[in-house]
Amino acid sequence: MITHQNILIIEDDKWLAEQFQRTLELAGYKVTIANHGLDAIRCIDDNKPDAIVLDVLLTGSNGFTLMHELQSYDDTARIPIILCTNLAPDFDIKDLKPYGVKYLLDKSSMHPNDIINAVKSHL
Amino acid sequence: MGAEERDQNNLSGGLVLDSLPSYVAAAHELKSPLVLVRQLSLALDDNSISDEDRKRILRQITLTSEKALRLTTDLTKSIRMRDALFELEPINPQQLCEDVVKEMSPYFRENDREIRLVGGRQSLLLVGNRDLLRRVIMNFSDNALNYADQYSTIEIKMQTRDHGKTVRLGVRDYGPAVPADTIKSISKRLLNKTLDHARPQSSGLGLYIANQFAGAMNGKIGVTKHIDGATFYIDLQASKQLSLL
Repeated sequence: MITHQNILIIEDDKWLAEQFQRTLELAGYKVTIANHGLDAIRCIDDNKPDAIVLDVLLTGSNGFTLMHELQSYDDTARIPIILCTNLAPDFDIKDLKPYGVKYLLDKSSMHPNDIINAVKSHL
Repeated sequence: MGAEERDQNNLSGGLVLDSLPSYVAAAHELKSPLVLVRQLSLALDDNSISDEDRKRILRQITLTSEKALRLTTDLTKSIRMRDALFELEPINPQQLCEDVVKEMSPYFRENDREIRLVGGRQSLLLVGNRDLLRRVIMNFSDNALNYADQYSTIEIKMQTRDHGKTVRLGVRDYGPAVPADTIKSISKRLLNKTLDHARPQSSGLGLYIANQFAGAMNGKIGVTKHIDGATFYIDLQASKQLSLL
């Protein structure tokens, strides 16, 4: 089933990003990958995504800096963010709500389909 | 100092390198390749993936495992450094760097990047330990791969300094370019951090190890920041053997 919904994956591990992309595309989503924060902003400016899958530790900036920026603008603040990180056990989803985070995925324990479920649950 | 070389730091004076790597840092560095291998392995369970994707995933699992194994070997060597003696000998850096390029090329190709030795053939000899120096250059290359633009080339360069007393081996990455006309106010903070070369996902463990290895060879490591990337380098004493010929 093709949904025509755009998902932006912000992940600096190229192969992991491609794996997430493969999974989401098979589920019918249109997927763009950004490998770092600046690239992500360009992607968001070019084509506002319906949801963002975001890593925390990125090249050049971290996910929180990016989320702060996205929260500064009305249009980007509304984009649901799925935080997908190795640091998930260190976070409490309640503390992340102000950053626009709707779902927290632990990279080290997640199943590939979890990313589809996370996206589906907020679109 | 050139316009591009705006800030040059000797890393050995940094706090990160002065302290021993913690278990947390080692665990953090090893977690990423393990997470990737796990995700890729789970992907193989999916019957809908093509044969081509399956082959690519298997290649990626192998290369990621090799990267993790390099790190564990480096870490073990680094921890045992104080108890071990490393033989120093005259080394031809050209040959060593060519070997590194050959060994790392499949990993770089799979990541849509290239690694190559630049500059003409040079008759240089330095004093070092072949295994440790190889590991330092591979460590810098691994690091460069993380920050280099897609389809870019990571360059290994050799040069003499201090009137021929020192040989510098540098690994240059071309990182995210920041064209002024595309920068908007929203990206200002990110831009500053990029130019500052903040590399938050790194615990500094790789540099700590490289610094340990450099120290065992009476050398030092450092970094030169460029507008569009960075060069990590190691300075080692030049061998006098050539001058005796």
